[in-house]
Amino acid sequence: MDDAPSYGYLSVAVIRSLQVESVLHEVMAATMKKVFESEWVSRLIDGLLPVFATLAALLVGAVMLLFLKVNPIEAYKALWVGAFGTSNAFAETLVKATPLLLVGLGICISFRGDVINIGGEGQMIIGAIVATWVGLTFTTLPGWLVITLAMLAGFAGGAVWGGIPGVLKAYFRVNEILSTVMMNAIAVQLMNFLLRGPMIDPAQAELASKIPQTARLLEIFRLPRLIPTRLHLGALIAVILAVLVYILLWRTTLGYRIRAVGQNPHASRYAGIKVPRYIVLALLLSGAFSGLAGATQVFGVNYRMITDGSASGFTGSAGFNGIVAALFGQLHPIWSIPASILFGALLVGANSMQRVVQVPSALVIALNGLVVVFVVSSEIWRQKRQRRRLSVARQDGDSPPPADEQPVPHTEAGT
Amino acid sequence: MDSTTILIGLASVLVAAAPVVFAVMGETLSERAGVINLSMNGTILLSAMGGFAVSVRTGNLFLGFLTGMLIGAAVALIVAFSSITLKQSQVAVGFVLALVCRDLSYFLGNPFMGLAGPRLPAWPLSGLKEIPVIGTLFFNHDLMTYLSFIVIFVSWFWIFRTRPGLMLQGIGERPAAAYVRGANVNLMRYVYTVLGGALIGLAGPTYSLSVKAGWKGTISGLDGIGWIALAITIFGGWNPLRAAFGAYLFALLQWLGLVLQPSLPNIPSQVLQVAPFPLMILTLLLVNIGDAEWVERTLASLPEPTRRFFAKAFRAMRASPPAALGVPFERD
Repeated sequence: MDDAPSYGYLSVAVIRSLQVESVLHEVMAATMKKVFESEWVSRLIDGLLPVFATLAALLVGAVMLLFLKVNPIEAYKALWVGAFGTSNAFAETLVKATPLLLVGLGICISFRGDVINIGGEGQMIIGAIVATWVGLTFTTLPGWLVITLAMLAGFAGGAVWGGIPGVLKAYFRVNEILSTVMMNAIAVQLMNFLLRGPMIDPAQAELASKIPQTARLLEIFRLPRLIPTRLHLGALIAVILAVLVYILLWRTTLGYRIRAVGQNPHASRYAGIKVPRYIVLALLLSGAFSGLAGATQVFGVNYRMITDGSASGFTGSAGFNGIVAALFGQLHPIWSIPASILFGALLVGANSMQRVVQVPSALVIALNGLVVVFVVSSEIWRQKRQRRRLSVARQDGDSPPPADEQPVPHTEAGT
Repeated sequence: MDSTTILIGLASVLVAAAPVVFAVMGETLSERAGVINLSMNGTILLSAMGGFAVSVRTGNLFLGFLTGMLIGAAVALIVAFSSITLKQSQVAVGFVLALVCRDLSYFLGNPFMGLAGPRLPAWPLSGLKEIPVIGTLFFNHDLMTYLSFIVIFVSWFWIFRTRPGLMLQGIGERPAAAYVRGANVNLMRYVYTVLGGALIGLAGPTYSLSVKAGWKGTISGLDGIGWIALAITIFGGWNPLRAAFGAYLFALLQWLGLVLQPSLPNIPSQVLQVAPFPLMILTLLLVNIGDAEWVERTLASLPEPTRRFFAKAFRAMRASPPAALGVPFERD
């Protein structure tokens, strides 16, 4: 008799507790959802995404190292020491990062304008050729003047080489991916021609070997170095330009219009923006920064131009790797600084890893490729997330955050 | 130059174009299904290296060609997986693969640099070869050149004259409609991308075992071919016959460059080496110019006969891509 109510009580209690639990669950789920969907967590995830992507790539690399019977910890330690271990190593990392950053800045501009510039290699070469010509021609002028002129010339040379595909895209509807790739090939042959013919080092012209290279620049024309390392002024120029590009993109009408055209050319057109003009401008500026990268390579690192017949012989593939660095920096000029340092470190460190733990160089290449693939995929995934967020916001009846009025630029909808 | 030299020269153009034909047909099939395989430049290099390496090691030509096709198919499978299943940007994935494959081919191919390898023997078709002019032009080559003729015709016939080909056009133009008609859009895209990749992969060994026999690393002269093949695909308007015309035109221009060089000593060799690239840009320009807004506006202001002439010319040159090219298919 006494049992019944207690059973009843028990069952009620159980049901109650279950209800409480489910309510608790709901509350927790809602909170989690809120936290997960809240703006700053999303931002944090977005910001850390490239880092996760790199870690994932290194993890896959570790598996590959294990297959080669190499201790991955030892290998990665060698990579780290090679890139950051000594001040000299770090300087070398920065030297490698400089052209990546400069090319990447141009990529930030063009990709924001929805123009895919794959012509960084060619633009670097042209910039370097023009700058070298300035350095070898005006030998009587003072050093600071020639350096300034050469940098400007490199900037202009790259601008022309980027501007041509820009005009072709804007006014003739030629796909810029294909035309910039072809402009690369043209630039390489132009370099091979000039360095074997008109611009060849007079000393080499007399020798039988005829190494295709230009004469050495005068000592006073070299970019100042931070003795005893090879770190040169170009790195500082690149960082200053990163800030300027940030200002250009988010604090000027010009930058606003480039980004507006990139996000929605039709709307921009109805808003009275001359779309073709800004397409040309985006590619032109993008090429200009690559041209400057080429010029700083000559005046800061090599002091002459030399060719092995291919583009990467001169650029070290910076014209391509700069794209990856910019994507890694989420197409934001300031974030591109650490991104390009990281890639510079990877390039320098991988070499020392190869030396220290004796891994085949193919693995180093594969490792670089892995990082590239992971970073690019994560960037695409991020953009998809962002789009979904925007569409969810729209469905909820909220207006999406006005993309162009935000004070924190790297959270804006991507390219 | 007498007529025999010209005839032999033209025949050599057909041989030189064979790998480009394979690559262009592969890309056309893949893009017809809606998938851009942008990795072509790297794929050709990697399959050229792989095919050569396998042939050198085994002494077997067939295995070399098979390896090339497998490499092409494998790379295409990565493109297909990431673009169809993961729905990622085909351009980004393809471009990255193009770079990675190129670097890989140089590094993995290092031990095979400059080795003497087997070469596909010529296989004149006795009987057909004796026909004047035509015999020399078409029937005095090796197996791969004959195969390139067949591939052109078969791809054209398949796309435009068969029921599955019609379906292929459908999944590239309007995947939703093709789906309603019972096509498994994503599966077919996989099939055509991998098949196209295998054809692209066949281009590599055709170079390294026949047209430019051997592997010479960065100076093989193959870097850039893939990009040209991509431009030819666009020029060809995704039609195998027109694309084949583009491939032969390109080979003809290259041959003319070689032939003219001795008679034009003032022109540096680089000019002729580089000539295909501006020419390709020009063809892309001609193909697309009819769509440009300012051209339409200018045309409208021209007097009637001139306007009609230009409008017709632009329409003839025009090539529009499959409508769903590069767009992942989602059924809902």
